[in-house]
Amino acid sequence: MNLQQLLARRTDLWQGQVARELAPAGVPTGLAALDQALIGGGWPPGSLTELLGDRPGDGFGLVLPALARLQSRWLVLVDPPLPPFAPALAARGVALERLAVVSAGARGAWAAEQGLRSGACAAVLLWGGRWDDTALRRLQLAAATGDALAFLFRDPDAARAPSPAPLRLRVQPVPSGYRVTVLKQRGGRGGAVLSLPAAG
Amino acid sequence: MFWLALYLPHLPLDVLGRACADDLPLAIGTQAERILSCNPAAAAHGIRPGLKVGAARALCAQLRVQPRRPAAEREALERLAAWLMRFTSLVSLAPPRSLLLDVAASLRLFGGAPSLLGQVGEGVAALGYQGRLVLAPTPLGALVMAIRQGGDGPIIPDGPALRAALDPLPLAALGLRPRELDDLTAMGLRRVADLLRLPRAGLRTRLGPRRVDWLERLLGEAPDPRLPFTPPAEYHGCLELPAEVELASALVFPCRRLLAELGGFLLGRRAGVQRLDWHLGHARCADTRLHLGAIEPLADPERWLELLRGHLEQLDLPAPVREIGLAATELRPLNPAAGDLFPGCAAADASGGPGLLDRLRARLGPDAVCGLALVADHRPEYAWRWVEPAEVSCGIPRADRPLWLLPQPQPLAERAGRPWLDGVLDLGQERERIDTGWWDDHPVARDYFVATSRRGERLWVYRELKGRGGWYLHGRFG
Repeated sequence: MNLQQLLARRTDLWQGQVARELAPAGVPTGLAALDQALIGGGWPPGSLTELLGDRPGDGFGLVLPALARLQSRWLVLVDPPLPPFAPALAARGVALERLAVVSAGARGAWAAEQGLRSGACAAVLLWGGRWDDTALRRLQLAAATGDALAFLFRDPDAARAPSPAPLRLRVQPVPSGYRVTVLKQRGGRGGAVLSLPAAG
Repeated sequence: MFWLALYLPHLPLDVLGRACADDLPLAIGTQAERILSCNPAAAAHGIRPGLKVGAARALCAQLRVQPRRPAAEREALERLAAWLMRFTSLVSLAPPRSLLLDVAASLRLFGGAPSLLGQVGEGVAALGYQGRLVLAPTPLGALVMAIRQGGDGPIIPDGPALRAALDPLPLAALGLRPRELDDLTAMGLRRVADLLRLPRAGLRTRLGPRRVDWLERLLGEAPDPRLPFTPPAEYHGCLELPAEVELASALVFPCRRLLAELGGFLLGRRAGVQRLDWHLGHARCADTRLHLGAIEPLADPERWLELLRGHLEQLDLPAPVREIGLAATELRPLNPAAGDLFPGCAAADASGGPGLLDRLRARLGPDAVCGLALVADHRPEYAWRWVEPAEVSCGIPRADRPLWLLPQPQPLAERAGRPWLDGVLDLGQERERIDTGWWDDHPVARDYFVATSRRGERLWVYRELKGRGGWYLHGRFG
């Protein structure tokens, strides 16, 4: 094992650009164009992903195709801005019997961390809350511990502050689907702008 | 046949003392103001059974002296019997202070006699009781040896060994009535061996048939059937605290004892519970009641303790606690998880899910964790509902529906016959009419459109067809 491979195994190290084949294989997003733009060919596994949208509900549809494939473990939504509409989720392949909606209020970060760390969740989606570097780092660490996907939905102002999240996307709805800007991605370049179809 | 006798020499003290840490000097006093028994902390102050209560208090000012409570002792014995059902299906009460277990069929399962004795001993100690264990071929033999605590060790493998263990004992060890004992002593008998050597026929006329039958049962010459203990259908446990507890966090220790007892009870019945009711008794105000719920039936005391900790952290005690009660009334059959054929293969699974959700509930409140379910109804607001997590539902999945549904439709302004939300909304070509619900109080008559806002967001809007009409926003595609 060479140094490159050893470094690539550390998810908490920022490495500039790494070769595609060394990046850990991602969780397929279900959208071919997005898979291509992401360095591991999907959502980085066991990591925190930030989705920055104008409205808190933006971008939910973007992560659903991946969630529909992760049926073996639980899916936890922490403080969604509105009630998710069950018939639409079921139609997109989400297993409702393995889905829990948690209203945690000020303890959202704690609830999300518990879910990520437990290993019983395939993904935890989290809305709202105030975030600083330490809190985000804890989330990232919890996601790595439990091998879960963490999706944090934030407002676009957050783009100005640095974040330890390995992947940050700016999501804007357009009539045909989404316009996604890759703000940051570990081991790859940011700045790519994608037009993605609406899922489902 | 193999019988395990559990003798609890300090039961009156244990009933009281198991609710507190070991360093508190405690004693049981008789009606005649004498010390009946005391714990090691009290003994360290020089207190001995038989001492006057006044003298004992003079030796140690912090000593707590409590009267004996036979009813509580009997209950404790029964709860212990229920707990012991995990080791065998036949547990028999031998009041006042003993239990008998038929373990012939259990030895192999629990890894042999020494291992079984170890497990029973550890469990009994963890529940806060001091017990003496003896394994012997007959129930009475095991009982006599456990009370006597003599012989070569706790395991007596066969009849001859039992005889050898009994022989050197003084006659008093047999628990004879004083008159019988006097008679036998007058005959010049000192040890059990002397008694057992005598011809039975003569003994029968001298002592009466009942005593000789007893001796035959002791030696295994006559059968000795025992009444099996039937565990109650519900668990009710209670602990009286020797000292009032003011801090909720200090309740964890006594609660752990109750939970361990409940755990054994549930294991013996192959059941779990989804709900535990605690009550904390106070001296001067109404009891505090605490309900713990779990998403799936649980039997593991550690999981319950974890949930309880979450509740106790947030609990404000109105007054110091004197008594703790625990009730588990709705027992559910437990389906133990099937083991994996190749251990280690199933790395990531959902089995931790219910535990996680219980933890979240314990901290955030019972209503903070919900699941979603489908309902077979065409009206969007009735097509789903909040449910307990993990509930399986059937309904109509709809791919053409928005991901977010507003809890209340939001009225939209109308300009030139078109809905307006930060700009005119572009209604698509498709129109879906939902006109139903005439059979209940919430009829719906609407035309739904997928509209696109000026910033490009797709919205689900409808036009009301009844009453005042108007446009409403009902969902966001997100």
